[in-house]
Amino acid sequence: MWHRERIPLLLAFVQSVLVVGWCFTEMEAGPGAAMSTQTNGDRFKIEGRAIVPGVKTQDWVSTARVLVDGEEHVGFLRTDGSFAVNDVPSGSYVVEVVTPTYRFEAVRVDITSKGKMRARLVNYIKTSEVIRQPYPLQIRSSGPHSYFMKRETWGWTDFLMNPMVMMMVLPLLIIVLLPKVVNTNDPEMRKEMEQSMNMLNPNPELPDVSELMTKLFSGSKGSSKAGSSSKGTRPAAKRRFH
Amino acid sequence: MAKLILLWLKCIILYNAVDAVFEDQVGKFDWRQQYVGKVRFSHFDTHVQSSKKVLVATENNVFAALNTRTGELFWRHVDKSGPEGNIDALLHHGQDAILVVGNGRLLRSWDVNVGGLNWEIVLDSGSFQKACLVGQQGTVKHVAVLKKNIISLHYLSNGHQKWIENLPDSETVDYQTVYSGGNGEVYALGIVPHSHIVIIAYSTDDGEIIKQISVEAPWLSNIVASCAVIGQGVLICVDSATPSLYMYNLNPNMDDLQMTQIPLQSLGLEVAPDFQPVLVSHQPNSAHQPLSEFFLQLGPDNFLLLQFNNGQIVTLRDFKPALLVSFATTGEKTIAAVMSPKNKTASSINLFSAETGRRLLDTTLIFVMDPNGGKPEKIYIQPFLKKDDSVGYRAMVQTEDHTLTFIQQPGRVMWTREEALSDVVTMEMVDLPLTGTQAELEGEFGKKAAIQDGLMSMVFKRLSSQLILLQAWISHLWKLFYDARKPRSQVKNEVTIENLSRDEFNLQKMMVMVTASGKLFGIDSKTGSILWRHYLNDVPSNAAFKLMVQRTTAHFPHPPQCTLLIKDKDTGLTTLHVFNPIFGKKSHVTPPALPQPILQSLLLPLMDQDYAKVLLLVDDQYKVSAFPSTKNVLQQLQEMASSIFFYLVDSSQGRLSGYRLRTDLSTEQIWEVVIPMEIQRIVSVKGKRPNEHVHSQGRVMGDRSVLYKYLNPNLLAVVTESTDTHQERSFVGIILIDGVTGRIIHEAVQRKARGPVHIVHSENWVVYEYWSTKSRRNEFSVIELYEGMELYNSTVFSSLDRPHAPQVLQQSYIFPSAISTMEATLTEKGITSRHLLIGLPSGGILSLPKMFLDPRRPEIVSEQSREENLIPYAPELMIRTEWFINYNQSISRVQGIHTSPSGLESTCLVVAYGLDIYQTRVYPSKQFDVLKDDYDYMLISSVLLALFFATMISKRLAEVKLLNRAWR
Repeated sequence: MWHRERIPLLLAFVQSVLVVGWCFTEMEAGPGAAMSTQTNGDRFKIEGRAIVPGVKTQDWVSTARVLVDGEEHVGFLRTDGSFAVNDVPSGSYVVEVVTPTYRFEAVRVDITSKGKMRARLVNYIKTSEVIRQPYPLQIRSSGPHSYFMKRETWGWTDFLMNPMVMMMVLPLLIIVLLPKVVNTNDPEMRKEMEQSMNMLNPNPELPDVSELMTKLFSGSKGSSKAGSSSKGTRPAAKRRFH
Repeated sequence: MAKLILLWLKCIILYNAVDAVFEDQVGKFDWRQQYVGKVRFSHFDTHVQSSKKVLVATENNVFAALNTRTGELFWRHVDKSGPEGNIDALLHHGQDAILVVGNGRLLRSWDVNVGGLNWEIVLDSGSFQKACLVGQQGTVKHVAVLKKNIISLHYLSNGHQKWIENLPDSETVDYQTVYSGGNGEVYALGIVPHSHIVIIAYSTDDGEIIKQISVEAPWLSNIVASCAVIGQGVLICVDSATPSLYMYNLNPNMDDLQMTQIPLQSLGLEVAPDFQPVLVSHQPNSAHQPLSEFFLQLGPDNFLLLQFNNGQIVTLRDFKPALLVSFATTGEKTIAAVMSPKNKTASSINLFSAETGRRLLDTTLIFVMDPNGGKPEKIYIQPFLKKDDSVGYRAMVQTEDHTLTFIQQPGRVMWTREEALSDVVTMEMVDLPLTGTQAELEGEFGKKAAIQDGLMSMVFKRLSSQLILLQAWISHLWKLFYDARKPRSQVKNEVTIENLSRDEFNLQKMMVMVTASGKLFGIDSKTGSILWRHYLNDVPSNAAFKLMVQRTTAHFPHPPQCTLLIKDKDTGLTTLHVFNPIFGKKSHVTPPALPQPILQSLLLPLMDQDYAKVLLLVDDQYKVSAFPSTKNVLQQLQEMASSIFFYLVDSSQGRLSGYRLRTDLSTEQIWEVVIPMEIQRIVSVKGKRPNEHVHSQGRVMGDRSVLYKYLNPNLLAVVTESTDTHQERSFVGIILIDGVTGRIIHEAVQRKARGPVHIVHSENWVVYEYWSTKSRRNEFSVIELYEGMELYNSTVFSSLDRPHAPQVLQQSYIFPSAISTMEATLTEKGITSRHLLIGLPSGGILSLPKMFLDPRRPEIVSEQSREENLIPYAPELMIRTEWFINYNQSISRVQGIHTSPSGLESTCLVVAYGLDIYQTRVYPSKQFDVLKDDYDYMLISSVLLALFFATMISKRLAEVKLLNRAWR
């Protein structure tokens, strides 16, 4: 039995989002410096200034906004780069200046119920850690946003420095150059090379794999062990096998 | 050391997971359209003669400056949505624009040229009534704000308050408007309905009350609706009952206690039955008095231009029929513009001299109305003086469907803005139809053709279709060649409905968008051009929409068919609009009349004989009706009835209930889950997307065993929030329920958390985001369901036969930003890894690999977890701007993200909508099935050539060597 059911959206359903105002409890004695806090009921003002070094404010303020806790409160930048977010109740907020071009660090601002303010670094993991920042906020841009990846460009040096290429080129050089450098006609040298070859094959008594296989397939017939050196075995074995 | 290795590992994985945009790809696959919303206030910037700006303040709390030449945005400021960012008034003076925001909460002044803020001040509490500029001796220096109980005057230069006064008797008197004629006084006008008008004159200098007077007006109930100030400070009101005009001179030297009555009959005028007459006056400069000419609207299509002259009212001109009127001033001249209907599809706008009512020559402008649009609602006139001192003008017309059209004489449309698109509610992406040739090819293998025709004719058919293909290919080549010769700027690839066709990889689609205003759009996903529009004019203002594709373009020659369900949220009554998604035309198929409120609708995978999927509608009597409801469909439904289940959610009662269909199309309830309303309420219910495919049934573990996914297509994720909003006691709950049996598969509670909760439910996982009140941060949580090491029934999934409860894994993470919306990528076969697309309030859309939200991320790295490519657990998720799929093209107030598979497995089409619309493609696992657009053809061909020559040369060399050896 195969039961299938479409999962439609429910139309009758109205998603209402309750914006909850919550009290701010955690607060130590606020900063001593006097703030120009305009009290309006129990609403306060977050002030500061955003600076992009080396860029005229006119060029970027029209695209900038100040967001407090997402879009909970929104502020705009004045033509000189300063800003004020009005009408904010007491609490703890993350204030960030948002532009599509420049990057600004977010700052956490705490407001007590009496309207005392302090600014500190945002730390989402240790939320109670306090590293003071100046208030009124001074937010300096750390440069333009990097949105793009660099394309991988192809260059000769990249190609040559590639480990695969290095692995291929070095043995090639050895094969080509070594016979030229070393005089192979010299009998002493040849003897030395043969010795070193034998060194490479540590145990001549041990039958190697191909030999074993040959024995296995050729069955009882092959008791012939060709040559003592393993060098000769391989081609011989192969020949028999085919 | 271990830490270092960890870090290194992480880096490697991160590097692999990055899929950013390359700089040269900007604008290649993506486009953005920016909107402002329905215009509430609009002013042309007349500060400089050559200014190209028009300022608009909209119902979406946006204040923007548009370019009058192109219709593009100079700048735009998006305030908080909802009543707190609502723009109550827009006043414009010189370089400054003054806005009253949030029911008189804030007063802002903007610099129009730069688009920066001059100042912002908080106003005293009280509900906002009216604001006006106050001039004195020819210059405007102040702005007056009238609230329910106070009036205040502020300097234009810095916003500082000059004075604030309490309004006398504000409990009984309803102060409604404020007026200043530029002579040092500010008048606050209030009313006690059906009794008298209260007029208070304040001195501009110190707020002292110069005069306070009450005037009998027992017939008047609302000043704003039926009064205006004209000439040298004369308050003029219209009463529809008598019917007559009443006048009162505000000048403090006059001491009348009565209003002068002038019966309309004495002027030879007559009010249309059941019509409340309206007065329109004009004050060209706030430092001076208003004009003594004004419009009086006597009927829906009847306007009169009247003049007030020495206590007498003179009719200058009678406009009938007229749709809209407007005053405008340039230099010293004030003109009246009148729009009158010409025929069914066009209206004409004419200018008249305001002083005399004489028609100005050569000022006719034809406005052609879109038959698929709405009626004109407002006109804004931008007049200018020509060299010979005559008046020329341009007009901006706003229609019911929120469209702005900017027209120049004699009727050339300079631009249109479809502002309805600022509020997209739902959308679908529909495949484009095949071209004629492609369809021809398809037709060859049609069902009946093969049987009827003989062998020869089949061969002939095949040959002819091949010929047609060849012909199409040659003409395509010819076009390419022809275009290549022309300069690049001249090559136009205009897309029209006629030449629309599916591309090779099905990357180009038709975006069908439904807006809150009831206007439907068909947009080409490649270019963003609007191909069709259709305005439904009988849509209720609080309607909910659901768009369903009943028949795709795959069933040629049957046309594709979409059905839009429009439901009035108050009454629950529903209408269906059936249309062709490619052309936007209303279908000839008549939808059923639905007299009962509809509770639920479901699109079944069943098809009728014409390949239209069956839509089931459940009404409030739990009766089911089908559309289309042919005999064939009803028979199929009877056969299938025992396996059709559906669920209903009643969030007001906290009840979820499941029903099954009986063969007679009645229903029976089979389960019910009640969530106690006192403790928590249902916030959202999310199922899986029906067009989702899951490619792999399980995950291969480090030890080569397989962990099978729990893939229940009927699973519902129900999100609840606590009714207690105290930060210590609030919580967010998530319940996974099987929609067929009502069995609760899993339940999780996040303590000290509150919404808004954003949720994505797909495959075997649920990802949700909430606000943690304890740590004051946003957190993500992921739940994954697994069957275990063995699959119970690997061929089919049945909710009724699944004895083992799934294993549940869950993990949570910190997210360093609030989010606006969330969606998962979707591909054709589900092979490509998944990414979450997260819309951020900053306007970016973050593409976060699902890999980071994996409850199997280990805290301690082991050999096995490394084998599985699991990223070690880190509490904080990162936001990297490289992961923004829309780079600097930020999108304001993202409300939804629509993902749709393309013909390429690697590619997912993404449309983000909110105030703006943004379309792009994403490649969650990079482009593995197609050559990348930066593929180096030069390199590969040069290497091939080099190899080819190398073999040629070495062959030759070998030959020479062999020859030499043979000679030896």
